Amino acid sequence: MKYAFYPGCSNHSMAKDYDDSTKAICKVLDVELFEIPDWNCCGSIDAVYSFKPLYSIALAARNLAITEKMQMDLVTPCSACYFTLNRTNKILREDAGTKSKVNEALANLGFNYNVSVRVWHLADIILSDIVLQKIKEKVKNQLTKFKIASYYGCYLVRPPEICNFDDPEHPTHLDELVETLGASKIDYYGKTRCCGASLGMTNEELALKMSKDILLSAKNSGANCLATACHLCHLNLDARQKDIESRFNIKINLPVLYFTQIIGLALGIELKQLGLQRNWVSPKEI
Amino acid sequence: MSQKPSIGVFICHCGGNISDTVDVTRVKEAIGILDQVKVSETLDYLCSNPGQEMIKNAVREKVLERVVVASCSPRMHINTFRQVMKSVGLNPYLLEIVNIREQCSWVHGDKEKATNKTIALVRAAVQRARYLEPLTPEKLKVTESVLVIGGGIAGIYSALELADKGYQVYLIERNPSIGGHMAQLSKTFPTFDCSACILTPKMVSLSHHPNVKIFTNAEPVLVEGSSGRFKVTIRVKPRYVDLYRCKACEECAEICPVEKPSSFEENLVQEKAIYIPFKQAIPNASVIDKDYCLYLTPYLAVLGPPGKRGVCARCKKNCKSDAVNFGQKDILLDLKVGAIIVSTGFSLMDPLLIGQYSFGFHPDIITNIQFDRLMLQGLHKPSTGEVPKKVAFILCVGSRSETASGRSYCCKIGCMTAIKQALLLDKAVPEADPWIFYTDVRAFGKGYEEFYAKARGHLTHFIRGRAAEVIPNGSSLMVKATDTLLGKQIEEQFDLVVLSPALVPNKGTKELANMLGIDLGPDGFFLEVHHKLKGVETKRQGIFVAGAALGPKDIHETTMEAMAAASKVATFLGRGEKSVSPEVVYLIPGRCNLCGICVNQCPTKAISKGKNEVIINPISCNGCSICIPVCPKEALDLKNTTDEQMIAQIKGIAEGEDTTPRKIAFVQKRTAYGSVDLGGQNRRSYSPEIRTIRVPSMARLGIKHILHAFAAGADGIIFVEGEDSIFNEDRMRERAMLFKKDLGKLGIHPLRLQPTTTTLPQYEKTLVLFDNFVERVKKMTPITQEKREEVKKCLESEKIIE
Amino acid sequence: MRARKLSNEKEQLVTEAKAIQIGVPKESMRDFIKEVMKMPGGEKILECIQCGSCAGGCPTIFAMDYSPMQIIKMINLGMKEKVLSSSTIWVCSLCYTCATRCPRNVDFPTLMMSLRNKAIRENLVNNCAKSNFHRYFFEVINKYGRMHVPELFVKLLDITNFNSLLRNVRLGLRLFKTGKLQLRAPKIETSWVSSMLEKTDQE
Repeated sequence: MKYAFYPGCSNHSMAKDYDDSTKAICKVLDVELFEIPDWNCCGSIDAVYSFKPLYSIALAARNLAITEKMQMDLVTPCSACYFTLNRTNKILREDAGTKSKVNEALANLGFNYNVSVRVWHLADIILSDIVLQKIKEKVKNQLTKFKIASYYGCYLVRPPEICNFDDPEHPTHLDELVETLGASKIDYYGKTRCCGASLGMTNEELALKMSKDILLSAKNSGANCLATACHLCHLNLDARQKDIESRFNIKINLPVLYFTQIIGLALGIELKQLGLQRNWVSPKEI
Repeated sequence: MSQKPSIGVFICHCGGNISDTVDVTRVKEAIGILDQVKVSETLDYLCSNPGQEMIKNAVREKVLERVVVASCSPRMHINTFRQVMKSVGLNPYLLEIVNIREQCSWVHGDKEKATNKTIALVRAAVQRARYLEPLTPEKLKVTESVLVIGGGIAGIYSALELADKGYQVYLIERNPSIGGHMAQLSKTFPTFDCSACILTPKMVSLSHHPNVKIFTNAEPVLVEGSSGRFKVTIRVKPRYVDLYRCKACEECAEICPVEKPSSFEENLVQEKAIYIPFKQAIPNASVIDKDYCLYLTPYLAVLGPPGKRGVCARCKKNCKSDAVNFGQKDILLDLKVGAIIVSTGFSLMDPLLIGQYSFGFHPDIITNIQFDRLMLQGLHKPSTGEVPKKVAFILCVGSRSETASGRSYCCKIGCMTAIKQALLLDKAVPEADPWIFYTDVRAFGKGYEEFYAKARGHLTHFIRGRAAEVIPNGSSLMVKATDTLLGKQIEEQFDLVVLSPALVPNKGTKELANMLGIDLGPDGFFLEVHHKLKGVETKRQGIFVAGAALGPKDIHETTMEAMAAASKVATFLGRGEKSVSPEVVYLIPGRCNLCGICVNQCPTKAISKGKNEVIINPISCNGCSICIPVCPKEALDLKNTTDEQMIAQIKGIAEGEDTTPRKIAFVQKRTAYGSVDLGGQNRRSYSPEIRTIRVPSMARLGIKHILHAFAAGADGIIFVEGEDSIFNEDRMRERAMLFKKDLGKLGIHPLRLQPTTTTLPQYEKTLVLFDNFVERVKKMTPITQEKREEVKKCLESEKIIE
Repeated sequence: MRARKLSNEKEQLVTEAKAIQIGVPKESMRDFIKEVMKMPGGEKILECIQCGSCAGGCPTIFAMDYSPMQIIKMINLGMKEKVLSSSTIWVCSLCYTCATRCPRNVDFPTLMMSLRNKAIRENLVNNCAKSNFHRYFFEVINKYGRMHVPELFVKLLDITNFNSLLRNVRLGLRLFKTGKLQLRAPKIETSWVSSMLEKTDQE
């Protein structure tokens, strides 16, 4: 299986661990990822879009246009990029006016985008029947001690007409993965709640509260680990966990792992390759 | 009848209404010189007694065979003059009326032009009259029995009503018992009548009624024939228990080893695979669910305890009356009925589709019908059996929603049901705390607002705000919402959450509509002919609908409709016979090659394939003519609007020496023609270049009619279809597009053909279009005589363009 | 003078109330509604039946001055300034919970982004932090073609709020320690950025 890989800006900085673990497990699972050459910012969900909408769409379209030339489906590990790229596809498909304007801008750079690229989330690929079967075959360590609360967040499942990874209210795909790996799944309130990442820099108070609700509901439902598929969520729930603890004067200490790291653990890949040392709340205890 | 019949033409002054604008003498003279016209007379008030006498005398003296009356609209006096025809021994269909008042003298000012137009119109009528044929309406005996499909309250009520009137009634129900949803309810709003107490006596009297035959486990599979004489084939599925032997002792259920969820109890309770649906079931006999019975479904035994595969049959062995019969098969029965009442009701939308309410993720999240069942079982939480105190009622679950899974309409019963249930809860449980999350409380019926007030008086929490989500939280359920009036967030824990799902058409509604040849509305329910005036009638005569099959409604409205439908059936069948219009499609012998295109096109299923030719049932045919132009062999034609008659009329109207340009407006007979008449009654003037021809529907027209018009001298054509026509706007425009393409190929500007639709009061829209069309055509280069010759040649060579 | 000014204000209030009461929107009201309906996300605002399922599930409603349904209602009454200067449009975290559940298909989050854009252009921004964030984010992207976290971080540091400053600096250090903060700027070809901006920059 070959895919054009769009890492997103975060994978090269704040989510190095996600990037490392993705590459590590894909190697084992025979999923070939070809990084899109010279990719650029996806246009952002709101930051650039609210400021200069058409520019934001053009930014996304540039990546898609490059991918179109590669003649592959695009896969991205970032939920936000997943949303933005799919949104751009939807807008360009439905609005001929915008499409011609964007293509005019792209023409200067030597591109023309025909809206033919399909955009997948990394989780879509990893949890497809074939790869899941492969995981089943290659599992080395049954993660029986893990009690995993799968966290879907917003852009994996919402809005369903753009991001249709799973049911928007009661998603189950990540939980199926959890069970495949021998861990027990935890059903909890915060599954699809918003972590407030988009407010992290500007309305920290609110973002901390939102993340706190998610972490507490997972913890109180008996989870000893949270699985996520988005580095913005990871940033808020992991790197900011200390802040949450001090702000609300509580103890949470809930490790937050990327689902790729969890698969990596089950496949018996070295911890270092999975970037586990980079997690702020250490998962060592489990 | 001679080949060249003699024709009499009578032109009315209408006391100046016509003669002030039209020079009737000139018309009389111009028409008098035409071939075969033996009489051409004018008179003031043709409709008066002296006028009628004049016509009669002329017919007798000059031995006239056809009569043309130029006067007011045929909508006014066609029957008057048809009576005149009858009284002198002429067939009424040998009369032709020319509308020179509403569509000529009243709408044109220029006397010269109006007179010219009148001459053209009368000339066209004379041409057409040459080809008129005598026709006789057929009388048909009707079968005086009725089929009622669906045994809920609507079906039960109309069946009883008709049976009491003396008709033979067949009631078919696909479940093992009649009763429908009403049998499941506890109490009813706004009177707190016990539902079973008012329904079951009706069920019993129906089952004992000598005029009623009930078939349960039965569905219709084929409907043939036409109104008044339907033949309906029904399939009665096996019950595996002999209805007459079973004593309903239920000993079989006690020993049956298989349990299944009870559909009558809305899956809240388990029952056996051999069961009686409910205590008051009619017929009161056991039934075996073949999907669960171990004897009937050996494959299930693989999952169940071993050793029972296909051999259980405990019920059969133990039945004292030997009622169990595993050998029963499907039975097909033919019923002959004169009319059909469809009362198939509704079902609840699956609340799983509205994911945020977590239906299916916790046993204490239930539907409103389930709550009624819980009330009757003794109110308890399905999860633990405890008595719930704090209960949330969430309204509009999937209703008033434009989303893909939602329904755009109001469920109409949700508000009142929730109010009823809140009051019942209040009565049943001390310290009860009902919360109703509503969008708008709709309490519009008699006594409903007072009922709502009662609930407010009992301190029910009314929260204006559609609940956002239900979160299962261990043993309790959290509901998140906003009180939109206070602007405050609500997060409350409840013992039980009751959802009011949208009401949707019952399963199989679409298939049934196809089988019966009747329409569904955009909401998926059956469509009535007119929302206010013909509320229980369908587009097919003799088929009526009642109750929730037409759309969500409460019991009160349902029973009203059931009686209305019964009354309509009685009126329809009461005369014992029906008269059938002779204006139907017929087959020209020797042309049909049985390609079958027309069979699929017919909306009333009047055409079927025979051995060598198609067979047209003149009783089912409503003369819509959709089939005629699609026939590649031109084998079909319409009585009283034959191709010969039409082309003669088109030529008559488009030819002539005067130089005014001529536009032909083909106007649909019923609505559209009335609409144009209305314009005349309001003296709304328009160009005399517009000349109308009355046709049953635009569906009647083929490309050859269009070409004949252009060849003969027309320079523009308008289609005015009624919006209520069976040939709807989309289909008309689609066909007009084909004509336009053909015109384009011949070098005639496609915009010379203009299709439009209208309703009766919308005459202004049509007439404005007339004005604009005349202006538009004026700007085009005129059609040359050579072009017209070319078209004529094309028609003669019979090379109808593909 | 002062008295007259007061009575003028009063008068204006009365006429405004009347216009709402009799349901005939003033020209400007209609203009605003029409304008919003043309924005991405605003297509369905007249469909709203004020049921409240948006507000009920909103995770950030506690920090909003008007709830989502109130914003829609205000748009439908043409209250342009109040809408554009509300905190709601900036507090919305764009989680799409409301849009997923809205029975009338109102795409509220997309509308929020459009209104942010409008508020910036009309200079009616009430929440500087968030709009500045958008501006800085845009500047960084415009410079490098990709995100460069340290630069955005430095631009954003709010020296007036000590607690937040402290927390953010600590967060930065934490990221740096785990090797998640790349100080080197991303290196890709960026000559195309300006031409693209030029082509797509309306108004």
